[in-house]
Amino acid sequence: MQGGLERATGEKMVLNFGPQHPATHGTLRIVLELDGESILKATPHLGYLHTGFEKLGEHLDYNQFIVVTDRMNYLSPLSNNFGYVLAVEQLLGIEVPKRCQYIRILMAELSRLADHLLWLGTAALDLGAFSVFLYSFREREKLYSIFEKTTGARLTTSYTRVGGVFRDLYDGFETDARDFISNFPKALKETHTLLTKNRIWMDRTKGVGPISADEAINYGLTGPCLRAAGVAHDLRKAEPYSAYDELTFDVPVGSNGDAYDRYLVRMEEMMQSCRLVTQALDNLPDGPVNVEDNKITMPHKSDAYGHIEGLIHHFKIVMDGHGVQPPKGDHYCATESPNGELGFYIVSDGSGTGYRIRIRPPSFLNFQALPHMLEGGMVSDTVAVLGSLNVIAGELDR
Amino acid sequence: MNEEKGIAEQASPLVLEKLAAHHSEALLAQRETRGRVGVVVRKEQAYAVLEYLKTDPELAYTYLVDVTAVDNSQMESELMQFDYARFMVVYQLYSYQGQCRVQVKVPVHENDLSVPSVTGLWRGANWLERETYDMFGINFEGHPELRRILMPDDFEGYPLRKDYPLRGRGERESFNFEKQNV
Amino acid sequence: MGLAKTHIQSGQGAAQTDGNIITTTIDKVVNWGRKNSLWPMPFGTACCAIEMMATLASKFDLSRFGSEAIRFSPRQSDLLIVSGRISIKMMPVLKRIYDQMPDPKWVISMGACASCGGVFDTYTLIQGVDQFIPVDVYIPGCPPRPEDLIDAVMQVQQKIASGAAPKGIEVAYE
Repeated sequence: MQGGLERATGEKMVLNFGPQHPATHGTLRIVLELDGESILKATPHLGYLHTGFEKLGEHLDYNQFIVVTDRMNYLSPLSNNFGYVLAVEQLLGIEVPKRCQYIRILMAELSRLADHLLWLGTAALDLGAFSVFLYSFREREKLYSIFEKTTGARLTTSYTRVGGVFRDLYDGFETDARDFISNFPKALKETHTLLTKNRIWMDRTKGVGPISADEAINYGLTGPCLRAAGVAHDLRKAEPYSAYDELTFDVPVGSNGDAYDRYLVRMEEMMQSCRLVTQALDNLPDGPVNVEDNKITMPHKSDAYGHIEGLIHHFKIVMDGHGVQPPKGDHYCATESPNGELGFYIVSDGSGTGYRIRIRPPSFLNFQALPHMLEGGMVSDTVAVLGSLNVIAGELDR
Repeated sequence: MNEEKGIAEQASPLVLEKLAAHHSEALLAQRETRGRVGVVVRKEQAYAVLEYLKTDPELAYTYLVDVTAVDNSQMESELMQFDYARFMVVYQLYSYQGQCRVQVKVPVHENDLSVPSVTGLWRGANWLERETYDMFGINFEGHPELRRILMPDDFEGYPLRKDYPLRGRGERESFNFEKQNV
Repeated sequence: MGLAKTHIQSGQGAAQTDGNIITTTIDKVVNWGRKNSLWPMPFGTACCAIEMMATLASKFDLSRFGSEAIRFSPRQSDLLIVSGRISIKMMPVLKRIYDQMPDPKWVISMGACASCGGVFDTYTLIQGVDQFIPVDVYIPGCPPRPEDLIDAVMQVQQKIASGAAPKGIEVAYE
């Protein structure tokens, strides 16, 4: 790299990378200042997908906002749903039944698989490995069918509710999930054979876009990017929410913090997610999936139609300005989404609508470290580093 | 609560103890609710407190989780609390060492919207502060490049302020789509 | 095929050339070619882009309909698929990309956000890209299923085969 700088002519060239570029996965834009092939300076520009989620949160009921969280990190909507309702529930001071906690973990881990699979497909596609894209989408389609049967939608699931989930798992979920989990390691092995020891893949990713552990912490990196730098931090272990403390899993850690390590960490995380899904299925308790509090969860349909109390409860929950009303105060709650720490800071004024809903997006802080990883490297590394960060524009810009 | 089991109970008061010992004049309020420790800090001493939280070897809040703000203009009780400070800048910190969180709030009056920037302490603060500036118009003094981040450069107004309407002030229709430097 | 309306020459001429002559108009041949080799330019911004990727990938496989040659350069493509939310900051980019595409060009507005803003009636979001660029086919859904996108591509194909002008040209001549 240093040699490249010396050889260069000293003339600067500015390259506009994005916002519409196949490797920017949507709407990222980086302005690169180049000297020959080396990157002198990288300036990311963002906001091309700014949608006003946080403003919208001030105008929607707590339950209505779940729909918005789907569209934030659209690779794994179920993790967002989970993180958001957990924050509201902690603000309310309620705890959901055990069965619900397990169902949420099941769905969150399956969507972590879906997220990492899509990351794998696109990151490999960016570096020219087209088959991996097709392989990972083959697996993702199987997950889509499980999600669709459970939630009614392939992508925008809106599955969780404050105080529970929209409905229980369908009959046959266990068979479907176990089928998938038993076949998945085989499918992942195919990818390992294609990439892990592949000379081209290693050359393109090893030592590319490195970041040290201290710098990663200083930049606020979280998730696989932080763990690849050697910090064994996972909120599922550090602050076990829901029923994560009843399950065993390992936290994979890298050592160099480069694109190759981020790849390996994510690959191993997928195996750990499989472990978690299997355990959750083994220990899935029976019982209700919603808290039994008519001020928080919807009454059963037959109650709403058949009894006056049921009808009133139903009416109170769906009416504007009623619904779930957390006490006055604020609360910050973070969960480990596939990309890192996904936090929700909710300020409540005691009404049915959030006073302020702040989303702490992992992609935003991960993307911020990009110039640090790129500068001094070669221009062709841009795509490899960007791919390895898995920046989701919907979450980045909100 | 089960969900907050992992938060180190013994570490939480340590922050408050140490802050009371070293920065008592800066503390306006403190509380511990739902397993989260929070302090409200005078703006003048905000940087010193944040620096202390980061560099003290026992506390070591080395990870800046989030910087944001809240516009309290429609919440009378909050607005009154700190002498009509309309905005509240909120910092979330995390310590890898103690595995615990602390929330630092800084009240900001409408007639003086400046807060010291913490980009010198955490590099991650750069974009977070830019976003807060973009959305609320809070001026972070000493920030290396305080300009809009999510909205277009020539955008007027601060969208997350309470007096800004949800559907905007007609920017969707009147925005100049030809002149934009693409 | 798209040549349904042409007919095999019969009579004297046919006898001389063993019935191997097909007469048609140049337009029909060109349209037939265009229809079966659409090169889409995916302008994917948000959730719909993920479903668009699913459409292109192994299970749904858009290449069965002759339009798998995804081109990220607008200068090489003739079908713009706008999939996802378009903010006021993004709109000039979209407009420029549309302008860079050579005529004739078709536009699919995929999903609720691109078509009308969807659930996001906020300060920054364009409430329908058809305010700025002409749209041929709208797809409802949030996001639409891959089958919906395939259906939309086939509707564009039918439109091309029918000889109707793209919406962009209609607008230009109005």
